[in-house]
Amino acid sequence: MALYSPGRRRAIILLAVTSVLLLTLDLRGNRLFDAVRSAAGAVADPFQTAADVVTSPISRAVRSYRDYDDLLAEVTDLRSQVEAQRAAEIAAQNAIIENQDLLALEGLESVASYDSVTARLVGQSPTNFDQQVEIDRGSVHGIRVGMAATGTGVGLVGKVTRVSPQSSVIMLVTDPSYAVPVKIIAGNDEVGGSTIDADTAVPEVIRETGVLRGRGDDRLPRVSFVAGSAGFGRISAGDTVFTAGGSTSLAPPNIPVGTVANVITRPGTAGQEVEVELVSDLERLQFVRIILYQPPTELAE
Amino acid sequence: MINALRHGWLPRVVLIGFVLVAVQTTLAADMRPFGVSVQVVLAFAAAVGAASDADRGAAAGFVLGLLYDLVIGTPVGATALTMAMAGHVAGLGRRFRVEPVWWILAAFTAGGALVGEGLVPVVRVFIGEADPVGWRIAAVLPTVTVAAALLSPVMVPVARWALSVRESELKVPGDA
Repeated sequence: MALYSPGRRRAIILLAVTSVLLLTLDLRGNRLFDAVRSAAGAVADPFQTAADVVTSPISRAVRSYRDYDDLLAEVTDLRSQVEAQRAAEIAAQNAIIENQDLLALEGLESVASYDSVTARLVGQSPTNFDQQVEIDRGSVHGIRVGMAATGTGVGLVGKVTRVSPQSSVIMLVTDPSYAVPVKIIAGNDEVGGSTIDADTAVPEVIRETGVLRGRGDDRLPRVSFVAGSAGFGRISAGDTVFTAGGSTSLAPPNIPVGTVANVITRPGTAGQEVEVELVSDLERLQFVRIILYQPPTELAE
Repeated sequence: MINALRHGWLPRVVLIGFVLVAVQTTLAADMRPFGVSVQVVLAFAAAVGAASDADRGAAAGFVLGLLYDLVIGTPVGATALTMAMAGHVAGLGRRFRVEPVWWILAAFTAGGALVGEGLVPVVRVFIGEADPVGWRIAAVLPTVTVAAALLSPVMVPVARWALSVRESELKVPGDA
């Protein structure tokens, strides 16, 4: 018996073509789809609430059994870290205040000058190919699509991609669709071959700008550079990566992203790329901070 | 589709779809054996194909995928395409006229789920994602496939009910 009759072929081809058509329309931006999506979300909400009520005890029981030893070890480790951090925190607070005062005097903005909303993670991505999390704060709390999210520390975590009144979805930095302009700041101890005396001179600072893109949760995000410059070849592991900001970037400047883990030299004119070790531990996110910042270009619309 | 609405399978599939998407976003997203989210909606789409035939599997998979795209927020049509293919491929197994014992249906369901999940990165490349998947796919595909096979003893009877598949439709011609 033939596996494929003409009728069967027609049916699957019709469905495939319809899917491609829908994809094309959705990717070009379609208000009808947005409305249908909102309606579907509203219908799905009671189902999700009910499923959450029924399944959360099961999830919690399994997680408690699975993670107990790890959590115990982590608590011990964190207690010792907290002790060590207390003294450093006092010194850091003082430095932050001084820094804020200086920035205010110069009329410059810093990450700390933006309002923010702290939110709890309430769900992970249901797919195996998207790096997304759901949080329990939404548009009624001032969150808008595109806003940057950081960990409870300061490290960049991702950006808001979907907002409903009481919840939002954040695309993590590791998602293959994520991209953000960044700058790499390399404090160089040597200029012209002579070592600078740290007490008497300010070290040269190299700035490189590029675009950081996610590559999935099993690979480090990479920065590809916008253009070559004198700084190339002088970036090395351990240099710090911050968001670059700018009038079109959805993230404000100077959010710490991570440190350079590897410098990759590609053949020909492809140039260099660097892999970035993130500051935030995305595996253990419990809370995030949404920075209520929108670039001037968004506000103008 | 209009036929489906008239004969009643579409509302049932949509209802089950909403329940399964809710399970997908809660329990399945949370448990993650080997770090992989078990795809219960995909398993159901494949089970529909295994319990009926390739055409109904593809149509139900398309509807379930569309629902998934709308609720989860993935590009509309992306999951509809992969789940339609999953249902279709699982249903192709029925063309071999083998006795529909539970483990054969589980194998068909697993095959459909494997194709469906395997197509996800292909669709992602098509919509412009560069390099959407790494070595992790080596864990994702076997886990999703085995989970679909394990879920099939539950999913196949639900799929039969949803599509009103009669017992006689499942028999190989010549069976008593």
